Amino acid sequence: MSSQSFRTANYINAQFLGRKRPTIEVIGDEVEEMRSLPVSMVLMSTETTEDREHVMLECQELFESLENTKVVLLKDFHRQYLDFSFSNSLPRQMKALDASQPWILYWIACSLRMLNRNWLTEDVQRKIYTKLFGASVQKGPFCGGYGQDPHLVCTYAAINALALCDNVDDCWGQIDRQAIYKWLLSLKCSNNGFKTGTTVGECDSRSTYCALSVAKMLNILTQELCEGVAEFLLRCQTYEGGFGACPQDDEAHGGYTFCASAGLAILDSLQKSDLSKLAEWCSARQTAEEKGFSGRSNKLVDGCYSYWVGAVNSLLEIAGFGSFIEKTALQGYILKCCQSSERPGLRDKPGKSPDYYHTAYVLMGFSLTEHTFEAANAQKSISTLPTAKETQLQPVNPIFGLPIDDVSKFIAFHSKLPSVH
Amino acid sequence: MTETASLFDTGGYNYDDVEPLPISDDQSDGLCQILYDDEYRQVMGIARALFKNQEVSDRALHATAETIELVPAFYTMWNYRFQIVKQLFGTDEAKLNAELDWLDEFTLNNPKNYQIWSYRQALLGIHPNPGFLRELPILQSMIDDDTKNYHVWSYRRWCVNFFQGFEHELPFASALISRDVYNNSAWCHRMFVLKSQFKSRPPADLITTELHYTKAKIELAPQNISSWNYLRGLYSEYLENTFDPEIIAFARSFVADVFELPQTPPQILSSYALEMLAYIYSQDLETFAKARCAYKALANTYDPIRKNFWDFKIRSLKA
Repeated sequence: MSSQSFRTANYINAQFLGRKRPTIEVIGDEVEEMRSLPVSMVLMSTETTEDREHVMLECQELFESLENTKVVLLKDFHRQYLDFSFSNSLPRQMKALDASQPWILYWIACSLRMLNRNWLTEDVQRKIYTKLFGASVQKGPFCGGYGQDPHLVCTYAAINALALCDNVDDCWGQIDRQAIYKWLLSLKCSNNGFKTGTTVGECDSRSTYCALSVAKMLNILTQELCEGVAEFLLRCQTYEGGFGACPQDDEAHGGYTFCASAGLAILDSLQKSDLSKLAEWCSARQTAEEKGFSGRSNKLVDGCYSYWVGAVNSLLEIAGFGSFIEKTALQGYILKCCQSSERPGLRDKPGKSPDYYHTAYVLMGFSLTEHTFEAANAQKSISTLPTAKETQLQPVNPIFGLPIDDVSKFIAFHSKLPSVH
Repeated sequence: MTETASLFDTGGYNYDDVEPLPISDDQSDGLCQILYDDEYRQVMGIARALFKNQEVSDRALHATAETIELVPAFYTMWNYRFQIVKQLFGTDEAKLNAELDWLDEFTLNNPKNYQIWSYRQALLGIHPNPGFLRELPILQSMIDDDTKNYHVWSYRRWCVNFFQGFEHELPFASALISRDVYNNSAWCHRMFVLKSQFKSRPPADLITTELHYTKAKIELAPQNISSWNYLRGLYSEYLENTFDPEIIAFARSFVADVFELPQTPPQILSSYALEMLAYIYSQDLETFAKARCAYKALANTYDPIRKNFWDFKIRSLKA
């Protein structure tokens, strides 16, 4: 069988015969050598290879059909998706996000701001802080929505959304830093991670990053809060080089690797991790065929990892260690596979629908490809150099997931406020 | 029949005295207001009223279940439910088992939910006589259904540590690797077992068994990052990164004559084998030339998308 017909057969298998066959260990006649490739694919067909073949084909089709087209980021087009969401109610099926409302605001507002600083209007900024304060325990900590319990990752999203509001109506000064500080201390676990809530809730590198980010942004990152936290995060690094959710040898994962790396960067401790293995793991996330990143070994490409993994790469740039991804290739995946001229917003991969989450993280990932980050200077501020003459997007701060300017202004504001105890 | 009854499955409880609370703050909810349907308003409104009063009762427990069915990610109701269970059931084993049964059923219908697993951990934490055997069927069926479900694997590791029950784990991972040799979650689980089961380090014969196992799986599917990463992990964690001639010969069997013919790169069976060889050769000044040759081949021919990383490794050789 030629490699093309082998692919076609696989595609038919995947498309028409159901992708997830219960038991798959077919060697025999499905072993196929693709002689034209430098690495012979002695393919043992399994769920993993079938799923990937399917995605590779879809990407390949897009790359081929757009081969002679200069594809650009459709900024005005994506703006329609975001503006529409800020000027209309959300359909009833969005109740699935009823306990994640600060996230919706953060993703949409951040996307608009990344596209153009002026596209987030003052009127919307007012509505953002009004809604967030309405979903808080007396203006800090923040909850998933009105009348809900405070939650750590919702508080993270709320603080980030507020940081995008330019302190309109002195909304920054209204945040109850002292209450958030006390609450963060109450979430600290015996293993020095932070859990998401006081009753039930996970304690992992994600929730711990959220605590550190909130504390850093609000200038309440005390010695007591930081004690032992770097060690907790460092214990999440695995033999593969990335980081997992909990310090129990959980599998290295793009999202958790970002959380642990950014958390360590906040604690000025990223250099205590195995940076060489981390660089190896990041670079292994990018594949030649799809050109985007997967979140774990042998998993599928997904546009959101353009940020999660891309930001870790930027943190390695800031640490003066180097850059280990192919930024131009990643742009290709984003522009041709995460974007479609048929529907505004950005998506995980071909065949998926755009959503707020992917729009925000794909855009931030794209911004990372447009900039090179510089080693931290004495003031620990982050500076960037554009990689091309013209950039489409604002430079993003790869620790906090916000435009660099917004982080600087927010932190500068809170640095002038009194310390907490 | 009241309207309440038509939208809210009361489960036989009486909620007539409960005045539903509003579920949004109409003043502040302007942006991205979700268009709640009437059922959701009704069910959530009643549950919130009970929650606000911190009512601990069977009907409150039922109300939390109804809300969680509608929006599984509604963590506030999970918190409330846990408070009710703790106070209502105390350490009553039968009742806590019934709660676990309810959770099993819910889990099977909501495999992607985040909250289930920390709730489950909290339940086992208050259970007077928790058992690992009770957990195994649900874990098995969840993984059967979604073999790389991150939360399920993580919860399984938590259970293994909590119960200190390691005996099922390597066979469990092996079964999943037999089904799909590229299942990285299952490979990682092997490393978890080695690292967690033994106080100091695993017995030498177990490491040997693992080496044989991994090599056999590599023979089956040579271009597999999971098995090669695990193999390298065994060496870095337990074999002092000391590579004997046998493992070098093994890796070399997948890279044809790439070291003899760097100018005309041959087709090879595994770029990960070449990466491992490059790593091995980079450990010793005397084999730097071979390491450079391997990294160059990776950068130029076998894995060029990672050129930046390979170039970095070449630069590191000088240091």
